[in-house]
Amino acid sequence: MKVSKRLGHPNLGLGLGLRTPHFEYILEHRPPVDWFEIISENFIDSQGRPRHVLDQIAEHYPLVMHGVSLSIGSTDVLNFDYLKKLKTLAQEIDAKWVSDHLCWTGVAGQNSHDLLPIPLTEESLAHVIARIDVVQDVMERAFVFENPSSYVGFTGSTMSEWEFLSRMTEATGCGLLLDVNNVYVSARNHDFDPEEYIRAIPHDRVVQFHLAGHTDCTTHLIDTHDHPVIAEVWALYRLAHELTGGVSTLLEWDANIPPFEELHAEVLKSKKYLQGEGVQGPVVEEACECAPVEEGCVSPHPLHHSVVEVE
Amino acid sequence: MKSEPIETAPELDRVQRWMQAVITHPDGVLSGADGEAARELIDAGRGNLESVVTRSRALRAADRLAIYANAYYARLIECIGDVFPVLKRVLGDDVFDSFAFDYLQAYPSKRYTLNYLGDSFVDFLRETRPDPEEEKDEADWADLLINLAILEWSIYEVFDGPGNEKTAMLEERDVVGVEASAWVQIRLQTPPCLKLLELAYPVNPFYTTVRASQDELEVGYPDTVTSYVAISRRDYIVRRYDLSRPQYELLKVLQAGGTMGEALEACMDVVPDDELDQLLVDVQQWFSNWTAERCFFQAVGTKKP
Repeated sequence: MKVSKRLGHPNLGLGLGLRTPHFEYILEHRPPVDWFEIISENFIDSQGRPRHVLDQIAEHYPLVMHGVSLSIGSTDVLNFDYLKKLKTLAQEIDAKWVSDHLCWTGVAGQNSHDLLPIPLTEESLAHVIARIDVVQDVMERAFVFENPSSYVGFTGSTMSEWEFLSRMTEATGCGLLLDVNNVYVSARNHDFDPEEYIRAIPHDRVVQFHLAGHTDCTTHLIDTHDHPVIAEVWALYRLAHELTGGVSTLLEWDANIPPFEELHAEVLKSKKYLQGEGVQGPVVEEACECAPVEEGCVSPHPLHHSVVEVE
Repeated sequence: MKSEPIETAPELDRVQRWMQAVITHPDGVLSGADGEAARELIDAGRGNLESVVTRSRALRAADRLAIYANAYYARLIECIGDVFPVLKRVLGDDVFDSFAFDYLQAYPSKRYTLNYLGDSFVDFLRETRPDPEEEKDEADWADLLINLAILEWSIYEVFDGPGNEKTAMLEERDVVGVEASAWVQIRLQTPPCLKLLELAYPVNPFYTTVRASQDELEVGYPDTVTSYVAISRRDYIVRRYDLSRPQYELLKVLQAGGTMGEALEACMDVVPDDELDQLLVDVQQWFSNWTAERCFFQAVGTKKP
C-alpha cells in the first residue's frame, strides 16, 4: 500500500517532553524549542493550573499528545469515555498527532500504570489490530504507537516485535513512534540486535522518534528516563534518521529532571550527531548501584503527574 | 463508529490475568506464581515460570518478572506520597509506605489517570483505624492522621478541579447598600472549588507548621479540638482559611443554596446570646474579608431579590 511519508505529518524538529518543573521557565522565557509533547493523562481531566499552563503554551508551540493509559493490548473493553476526552483535548490544543504504546496497562478493571508487554502472537496481533481500528474510528485520525521497553518475553511469542509492528501498521494504517532508547533497552534485555530491529520496521510509517537515558543494572537495562542519551543510542538514532529521512525528535526526561536549559541542550546534541560531529560533553553510561533484582532496583518509566501548588 | 464487539483473545486474556496476579502479589513474584489466583489461570507455579516467560542470557524468568513487580508498588507508593506529603512526613517514610502498600492491595487503581490514585485513601485509613474501645491512644493518633489525610486530599482535589478563574467573583461593592430586608433574601453563589471541612483536630495550622519545619519531629502534635477550614482556589493556587464555627455554619448554608437570612439563623444558633450584637458587626467584616479574597462567592449565580 502506498502511504505518504510520516502519514503526512510534518517534521516538527527537536522537541521536549513538557514537565511540571519547567512550566514557569517556559512561560517566562519562551525558549526556542521546536515543539512539546505532553503526557495526555495529566491534562485530559485538568481544570486547574496544568490545563491553564498548557493552553498558554499551545499558543506558542506545536503540541503532540503522548498517552500511557490507552492499553491497546489489554483484553478489557476499550474505555470510550477516555477516548472521547482524548479526542476533545486533541482538538482543543490542536495536537499534531496522538500517540500511546504497544502494551497493556492492566486487566480485569485494574490499572498498573505500567507499560506491560504482550505476547507477540497471531492472536495478539488480531486483537490489537481490531482495537486500533476502533480507536482510529473514534479519534477520526490515524493513531501513533510507540515500541515499549520491556523486561520479559513470552514463550508463546511467535514473531519478533518488529514483525508485529510492521504487520500492525500495514493492517491499520497507524503510525509509529520509534523510541530508539527502548529498542536499545529491549535489545539488551532480550538479546537481539537493535540494528536489525531498526532496519526492519516500516520507515515510511515512523512519525516520531523518542530519545531518553536509561540505567544499566548490569544484567539488564531499565528505561528510567533520568540520564543523558548514551553514545550507542545516538548511533542508533543516526541510523534511524538515515532510514526514515528524518522525523520529529523528542527527548524524554522524567526523573531527576534537570534545569530546562540542560534538558534543551541534550536534545540539541542530535543536530551535531546527525552532522557526524559527535557529541560534546559526557557520554557515559552510568552503572546503577542497584540491589539484586529480587530486592528491587530502579523503576522503569517513571510516573509523571501534576504537582499541587498550595499557599 | 464501528459498534460490533471486538473478537476476544482468550489466550492473551489468560496470560494477562496471570501476569497481573503474579506481579501485583504483595509477597512477590514467586508467591504470586504459587498463588491461587495465578494457578487458576496458568498452573505454572514458581518452579515452572519459564514455561510462560522466557529467560534472557542474564536473568531467569522470575528475575525478569520481579522488575515489573518491584516497580508496581514502588512507583505507585511514591505517587501516593506525593498526594499526601505532610502525612508522609508525620508518619515517616517507612510507616507511610507500609500504609500505601496495604492501600494498593485494598484499592488497586482502576482509573486511567493517577489523579484518582489517592481517592480512597481516607476511607482506607478509616477502615483500618484501631478500635478506640481497645486501643484509645492509637485510635486518637489514627484520627489525627485521618483528618490530615482529609485536608490533603481536599487540597489535591481543589488544585486541579473546577475553579473560579474564569468567573467574575463577587465584590464588596456589589452588596454594599443592599437594604436589610433585601439582604436576608440574597442567595450567594459559592464557587465549585470551595470546600468546607469540619475536622476533629486543628490540622490546618498543623499542616502549615509541618510544611514549614525542617524537622517534623520538633513539631508538637495537636490535641483534639474541632476545627473548621475553607479550601478554595485563586489564580490556580490553593488557598486555605481557618474558620470559626459561626463562619462555617454560615458558609455551609450559603453553599447549599440557602438565603442569607437562613445562613444568619444557622450562624446565630451557635453563638451565645450575649454575643449576638457583636455577631452582626462581625458578619460585615467577614464578608468584607471574603469578597476581598475572591475565593468564596461568585458574581454570576448570586441572586438578589
